[in-house]
Amino acid sequence: MSDWGLALRQVGIAAVNVLCVILAAPLAEGLLRKVTARIQSRQGPPIIQPYLDLMKLLGKEDVESGETPVMQRLAALLAPAAVLTAACMTPMGLRAPLGPWTDVVVLVYVITLCGISTLLAGLSAGSTYSLLGVSREMMAMMALEPILAVMLIAGSLQVGSLRLDDVLSGSVYGSGGFAWSGLILLCVMALAFQAMVQRMPYDTSEAETELMEGPIAEYSGPKLAMFKFAQMAKLVVYGGIAVGLFVPWGSDGPLWLAWPVFWLKLVALIIVVTLIAATHARVRIDQAVRRYGALLAVALVALVLAGMGK
Amino acid sequence: MTAERLIVAAIAVAVAGALITPLASRCKTTAGWIAFLVTLVSAGLALSAVAMVLIEGPSEHPKAFWAMPRLGFDLRLHVDGLSAIFVALTALISVPAAMHSVRYMHHYADYGVAHYYPFVLLFLAAMYGLVSTTDMMWFFFIFWQLMTIPGYLLIRYEYRSKASARAGMRYLVMMQIACVATMIGAEMLAVAGSRVGDAPGLKYDFATVSANLPLVLAQKPALAATAFGLFLVGFGIKMGMWPFGHVWLPDAHPAAPSPVSAMLSGVMIKTGVYGLLRYFVWLVPEGALPDYPMATWGAIVALIGTVTLLTGTYQALRQEQSKRLLAFHSIGQVGYILLGAGACMALLASDGPGAREAATLAFLGATLHVLNHGVFKALLFLNAGSMLTATGTQDLNRLGGMWTYMPLTALTALVASCSIAGVPLFSGFVSKWTIYAAAIQGNPHAPYLAVCGAIAVLTSALTLASFVKFFGVSFLSRTSAWVAQRARERRAQRPTGSSSDLAGSLEAPVSMLVPQWFLAVLCVGVGVAPAAGLSFVTRALAVSHDGLGAILGRALGVQASATLGVATASGQAAFVPAVIAGAMGLIMALVWGVSRMGASRRRADSPWLCGYADEADSNRYSAHGFYGEVKGLFTAGRRPEAARKGDADGPT
Repeated sequence: MSDWGLALRQVGIAAVNVLCVILAAPLAEGLLRKVTARIQSRQGPPIIQPYLDLMKLLGKEDVESGETPVMQRLAALLAPAAVLTAACMTPMGLRAPLGPWTDVVVLVYVITLCGISTLLAGLSAGSTYSLLGVSREMMAMMALEPILAVMLIAGSLQVGSLRLDDVLSGSVYGSGGFAWSGLILLCVMALAFQAMVQRMPYDTSEAETELMEGPIAEYSGPKLAMFKFAQMAKLVVYGGIAVGLFVPWGSDGPLWLAWPVFWLKLVALIIVVTLIAATHARVRIDQAVRRYGALLAVALVALVLAGMGK
Repeated sequence: MTAERLIVAAIAVAVAGALITPLASRCKTTAGWIAFLVTLVSAGLALSAVAMVLIEGPSEHPKAFWAMPRLGFDLRLHVDGLSAIFVALTALISVPAAMHSVRYMHHYADYGVAHYYPFVLLFLAAMYGLVSTTDMMWFFFIFWQLMTIPGYLLIRYEYRSKASARAGMRYLVMMQIACVATMIGAEMLAVAGSRVGDAPGLKYDFATVSANLPLVLAQKPALAATAFGLFLVGFGIKMGMWPFGHVWLPDAHPAAPSPVSAMLSGVMIKTGVYGLLRYFVWLVPEGALPDYPMATWGAIVALIGTVTLLTGTYQALRQEQSKRLLAFHSIGQVGYILLGAGACMALLASDGPGAREAATLAFLGATLHVLNHGVFKALLFLNAGSMLTATGTQDLNRLGGMWTYMPLTALTALVASCSIAGVPLFSGFVSKWTIYAAAIQGNPHAPYLAVCGAIAVLTSALTLASFVKFFGVSFLSRTSAWVAQRARERRAQRPTGSSSDLAGSLEAPVSMLVPQWFLAVLCVGVGVAPAAGLSFVTRALAVSHDGLGAILGRALGVQASATLGVATASGQAAFVPAVIAGAMGLIMALVWGVSRMGASRRRADSPWLCGYADEADSNRYSAHGFYGEVKGLFTAGRRPEAARKGDADGPT
């Protein structure tokens, strides 16, 4: 295929991924709310409620509390843009759209950019609560970003490549289909995933009841909609990465099968996340930091094993 | 005209300038501009030498300028690709730093410039000399001292301050230890070489020592190992390597005037990296490879590098003084360079498939990080200097909301912070990407590299945290009482403009802004077009023929693509910023369109804090409050006290 043909195909896949994430993210949130409500013996809002919430926010008044509104506006644009760019780098039932031009190292740092946008939002809002949230968010990122990086690096060591398509296809289990390091990393991912997508019991930086949404406490109207959407989309994109790395089964079939299978796995993952979130109480930030540290240490051990091909 | 003559001319111009500037020192501005012109001419000469080496290739033999054969005393210079990288860095940073100095020195009311500009120029001349001399003993000593003693005098520029004097003394003592260690190492190799080998030429010249080295390595391995160990200690002290760097560097950088801090951190500590690469890789001829424990040295350097980057950055996280924070990051960033250099050496020793390519990749990453770190750290120190002249404090707890008062400086500080934190599309990410890719691809040949790489990713997150604090609390957050007071004072001095409008009132003067913007443009340029930066170091490597450097030069590290992106030679890793920027730009436009769909109105208001937000300065969240839980993490034995202290000092 010619360079332009390839570029055009990848752009097409990117558009499909972005569209799917835009459509699926509020739906996932709706599902999450519904399941939580059922667990708590409530009726719960209709599953399309998050769409309506977002649309309503777009028309609400936009109060800018900080001294640097330019930065607040930039942060509100950057948050969804960074998540959706990460979606363009993740294979979601199809090949990774930006695969030929990026690799897993770039993916880790683009994902960091989502976090950075939240940090900028909190810093420029200037509220004491938002800065407190920023401090906590950053402490979580300090451990969680390397944990994700370790998983991707372990995968790339197993397959001997940093390409997104090679790594995000169950690479942690190695070419033989089974590796101890992959199993350890799977456990780490199971424990860290709630924190990566900032759901209970690890939503320490937003913590509605404690910090009033932390970094985004001061935001309203369309900006709040952007941050809320970014958070919803994060669940889908991180879910996509987790599925790609750890649950590759069924993805190597023909397209008509692989694509629905991917999204089914993602929905299953979201339901698991919801069950955990609905049944656990939030941990304190010092407990959370220590747990992240322990998880990172375990992940590094797994990386050593992965380096030895075990 | 040869490149060596140009370098001698650059040194001569700088030394002549050092003799002239004291005459004009009664007027700080005149002296400043004279020094700037001298630096500019000197940098022009140096950069044309670099261009000559890169385009035409280096001269075949070193050029002798001033010989006293009976003492083995001979000024021989040789500018090859490796020297060219460091000469280019020196020239590139010295000019903005000199321009920034002109107005910055007005900040010192009680100190003149007669003991500033001459030393800066001598310091500069010495660095050009040190990275191009081929003499391991006499001229190494002369240039080293010419760099150390003016450096010492510049660090204790505020000589009435006890802290500055102490910082200067520490620097001086550490540098002398480094000098002695390196010279003993050189003497050992030279003497042993002249006993076992019979290469003609000057005893301490690189060529002679290098020619005798295979026999020394084969017959006296213990002696050679001791000598190389001494080199590692000597250059390690210079570059701020763990554990030596923590002794002098965090005190020395903040004590010096900011443009000098920029030179110290951006350029001077890199001469240690130059020495390490020159002695460990370039000095060793290819024939000596079987007897040279390269893999061990590589492992040692890579592991020390990992410890350096983690400890330096972790300590930076606790700092609340702007320049001290930056100084600890210098240690951290040198760790990345060491990791890259160590990976390069370790992989060079292996001849497995792909090892040589990964070694070249690691070398490119390390040297590009030398350049990138020089640029963004110099910029950060200049930013800190502008903040210091505007507000009179280095204490981050007193700063806040400066974006409004110095927006042009703030923008450059944002660029520099993004660069050092490794945000994609900024320069730091390019070199970090290269080092990570080399570490991962080289892991099969040196199985500790991937873990070192993962720790480097962790450190990158710590760096981000530290700069979120640095940039966030000083430029964003809310205006502190201290900053508001300074802004009112500054406005009162200038009768033009209404007294109520304080926006932009603390902005740095043009002669301080131009250097900052110049460096910021470099950061973004390399970030968006990594092919440009990597092609520069690739070309420099290709024209370096000595020792093991030749092996590196033969292997292909990266391929540049038409879109200014890069891919590793194996094609296993790629980074094309244009595509990411394009995708992100398009999505941002889409998001912007959606966010305006509801036609919502904007309103400015103060943040919510029960109405007390603007009541007292202590209602702001200051730098001290950041990351309490992480700061207490590694002081396990003292954790209860640390936690209690955190509670008492405010929310964490």
